[in-house]
Amino acid sequence: MNAGWAEALPWTIVLPMVGAVLTPAVAARRPRLAGTWAWGVLLVASALASGLVYQLATTGPFSYDVGGWAQPYGIELRFDHFSAWVLPLLLLFVVIVPFSWRYLDHVMPDERRPAFYALLLLNAGGMIGFCVTGDFFNLFVFTEVVSLSSYALVAVGGRGLAAFAALKYLFIGAVSSLLMLFATAQLFALTGSLNMADVAGRLADVGGGPAVMVAFAAYAVSFMVKTAMFPVHVWLPDAHAIAPSPVSAVLSGMVVKIGIIGMLRVYQVFFAADVLELGAFNQTLVWFGAISIVMGAFFAIFQDDIKLMLAYSTISNIGYIVLGLGLASPYAVIGASVHVFNHALIKATLFLAAGAIIHQTGLRTLSDLRGIARRMPQTSAAMAVGAVSIVGLPPTAGFVCKWYIALGAFESGQAPFGFALVFGALFIFIYYVRMLNAFYFQEPVHDVVIEANEAPWSMRAPVIVLATLCLVLGVLGGIPLSFVEPAVLELLPFWGN
Amino acid sequence: MDVVDARPILAPFVSFLCAGLVFAVGRSIFWRRFFTFLAAFIKMGLVLSMLPGTLRGVVYVYDFVEFTPGIGIAFRADAYGMFFALVSSTLWLFTTIYAIGYMQGDRDRVRFFGFFALCVSTTVGVAFAENLLTFFLFYETLTICTYPLVVHAETPEALRAGRIYLTYTLIGGGFALVGAVMVNAVAGTLTLSQPGILSGDLGTPTLAIIFTCLTIGFGVKAGIMPLHGWLPIAMVAPTPVSALLHAVAVVKVGAFGVTRVIYNVFGVELLGVLGFTVPLAFLAAFTIVASSTIALTQDHLKRRLAYSTISQLSYIVLGAALLTPLAATAAIIHVANQAFAKITMFFVVGAIARTTGKKHVSEIDGIAARMPISMAAFTIAALSFVGVPLTAGFITKWYLALGALEADAWWFVLVLIVSALLNAGYFFPIVHRAYFRPAKEPWPTLEEGRRFETAKTLLFPIVICAAYVLLLGVTAEVPGMPFSIAQVAVESFFAGGGVVP
Repeated sequence: MNAGWAEALPWTIVLPMVGAVLTPAVAARRPRLAGTWAWGVLLVASALASGLVYQLATTGPFSYDVGGWAQPYGIELRFDHFSAWVLPLLLLFVVIVPFSWRYLDHVMPDERRPAFYALLLLNAGGMIGFCVTGDFFNLFVFTEVVSLSSYALVAVGGRGLAAFAALKYLFIGAVSSLLMLFATAQLFALTGSLNMADVAGRLADVGGGPAVMVAFAAYAVSFMVKTAMFPVHVWLPDAHAIAPSPVSAVLSGMVVKIGIIGMLRVYQVFFAADVLELGAFNQTLVWFGAISIVMGAFFAIFQDDIKLMLAYSTISNIGYIVLGLGLASPYAVIGASVHVFNHALIKATLFLAAGAIIHQTGLRTLSDLRGIARRMPQTSAAMAVGAVSIVGLPPTAGFVCKWYIALGAFESGQAPFGFALVFGALFIFIYYVRMLNAFYFQEPVHDVVIEANEAPWSMRAPVIVLATLCLVLGVLGGIPLSFVEPAVLELLPFWGN
Repeated sequence: MDVVDARPILAPFVSFLCAGLVFAVGRSIFWRRFFTFLAAFIKMGLVLSMLPGTLRGVVYVYDFVEFTPGIGIAFRADAYGMFFALVSSTLWLFTTIYAIGYMQGDRDRVRFFGFFALCVSTTVGVAFAENLLTFFLFYETLTICTYPLVVHAETPEALRAGRIYLTYTLIGGGFALVGAVMVNAVAGTLTLSQPGILSGDLGTPTLAIIFTCLTIGFGVKAGIMPLHGWLPIAMVAPTPVSALLHAVAVVKVGAFGVTRVIYNVFGVELLGVLGFTVPLAFLAAFTIVASSTIALTQDHLKRRLAYSTISQLSYIVLGAALLTPLAATAAIIHVANQAFAKITMFFVVGAIARTTGKKHVSEIDGIAARMPISMAAFTIAALSFVGVPLTAGFITKWYLALGALEADAWWFVLVLIVSALLNAGYFFPIVHRAYFRPAKEPWPTLEEGRRFETAKTLLFPIVICAAYVLLLGVTAEVPGMPFSIAQVAVESFFAGGGVVP
């Protein structure tokens, strides 16, 4: 195998982790240095990830054996088309971190910054590891790295309900992790292996049966909790709304996606093994996806707090993705896989824009923020672009995915879900129209709003970059689509229907 | 003959760029006007430069991006698209002049002119859309871009109108999306370049669902009853917006969509077999008569015009639904005829409101003495709607009637006659009041040093558009005028069969 960039694979995980550990030391004298340090680490990691994606594009998926131990005995890191998600993920981090520099001024005292950035780096490292591991036990380990750092990041703001929200998140997250551990143990007991490719081969010998079914179900439920599907979404709104805005962007845009990536990984194994009849399971996913779309939109309508509303729309959008996966037709799965990225982008735009507004005014409800667009035109415009995007109206990034998922629904003969997808999305626009009306077309009621200034450039620039990308990807949406397409087509021969 | 050429994408892009520049440097009145006019002229030039080719049968195409094979954004300036683009880019120019006069001293003009340019950009994008995806992309973008214009006044009334507008159009957009995606799923293609892409083998239920979804989706903007509710309410927008968007761009995009569905998605032959257009034709006929009747009762000038618009749009839908070449020709020509006549009326009504503050039919007794040129223009437009020869409207009615007879739908000729009477019934009282009733109170006199009845920027577009109504009526068959372009379009629609006039 062509070594090339494959050698960089472990370093992409190790770098943020080591960076995290070193953060308190680097920033010991000057706590504000921590932000710059974290940014630097993430920049280098993204450079490595670009190399990995380049390698993937030229030679196809590749593996790295940790410590030189051959599979299935050693630990395998595998970089396939779904792992390529690490590049956009890191790039989003690179945009989000500069935003946090100034944002944290109001959130925490300087001396807590090193801890914050250490957690953020740990979170990023955990997600990278999760995406590239080829081994079920490490999948669990990285899930825990991500989850634990997320709990802490929610609480890090340290104000009022933050601890409570983090605790709620922790309890539900711990149950989900336990289920995952159980499933991993079950698989190990059945097959005597933890390497994904190896397990797939051995499962075929084990055959079907209730034991395999239980392992699969445990994985599925565990990942559903992690993605915050309705009705196991209860932990998400508070945690995402209370966390500092850059953290909300990370949690809402990326951390919930590990459930989706995990689902894809488990699918890859179980379909390769071809031991379970998963048609019924797909049907369940489709239903839960459709219900999540509608319920997320429904709850969002009643919120006055802009961040809570954004949090609920995450549930809706996760519904799209899960619906797309469950439809199990090529177009739908392509749309869903790309929406993993597009939603992260859109949600980061929205949370950062909302964060900038909250940072400048100290207000966070619609009724208080009336007329803010006059004082913060650029941030509000970004917010508007994000709002149009998240509803999936053209010409934005959200639209392309919606088209593909709906196309998949009609293609696989499940037309009612196509309708649910299209009209469920409109439902959520009710709320966003209220938001845009309040921002743009209503008179300010607060002096703070009348005197507010546009956010500093370190916050404005990331927001503008992200909003521009939302628009650009609406028109050039083909780039991620064409990238995911081969992976999905490779997966689908094994896809139950 | 297809020729690859960037002009079909440049035409919408010019006004898109203009919108960006207006947002960026629009605080300066000079630059705002400069860029708006520059873009309007360039766009018109681009569209006009394609006209000779179109008349020769050349179709300019440009593939922009492809997402996955067969799904992407592409542009194609066929005869029908050219026709529509020509109308909207011409009227953009005149409306811009008018808007500059009308919006003088109004609030938020940067936002106004920026979104105005975006709307025109998307309208031309719709005109040049090669496939349903591109069509839908611009169709929905248009919805979003008109919203800030509708709620421009920011009063509770305007916000309510905006809400209703969005509810109607976004739900309609949802149906259009479902329909378009279904076409993609069953036909495997989205192109609008063929006379029909669906095959009859798909079974009537599937085809019926697709047809219903697409007609509802585009019918909302075309104001087909009972989907018209947003249109009279949206009249709360400033008059240039009502003029260009609610008499021309937005509503015509809907009518354009319905025609595209009939001629390019389903095709004449298939619909002839399926018969889906029969109920649509009845609905359109009902709309023509019903909304004209409602218009009789409206005292507010703009609302009366709005109901008249609803009625006139259904001429286009009906013409298309009759599935005969002559009716199709009438439908296409009416896109231009209605646009110029209706925009003249809106301009006049707006000029009256700006000059005298009067907005109701009952308040304009004797206005012709005060604003003779404007009222003359209004009269010409009114005659056109009634269908008096030498005006544009006559051409439409003549071919519609021929087309109806060709389709053995004599009942439609009756509808035409009733509609003409109703049109006379709600437009002539306005003319009568303006000319023959004495003014209730003396009209405010001219300011010192002004030679015209109202601002020049308001009067100039009125005169040009009224002149155009006559020109379209007199020179209908001259090459380069609408008729010749419409014929090229109709030839392509009926390529599979039927008689070409």
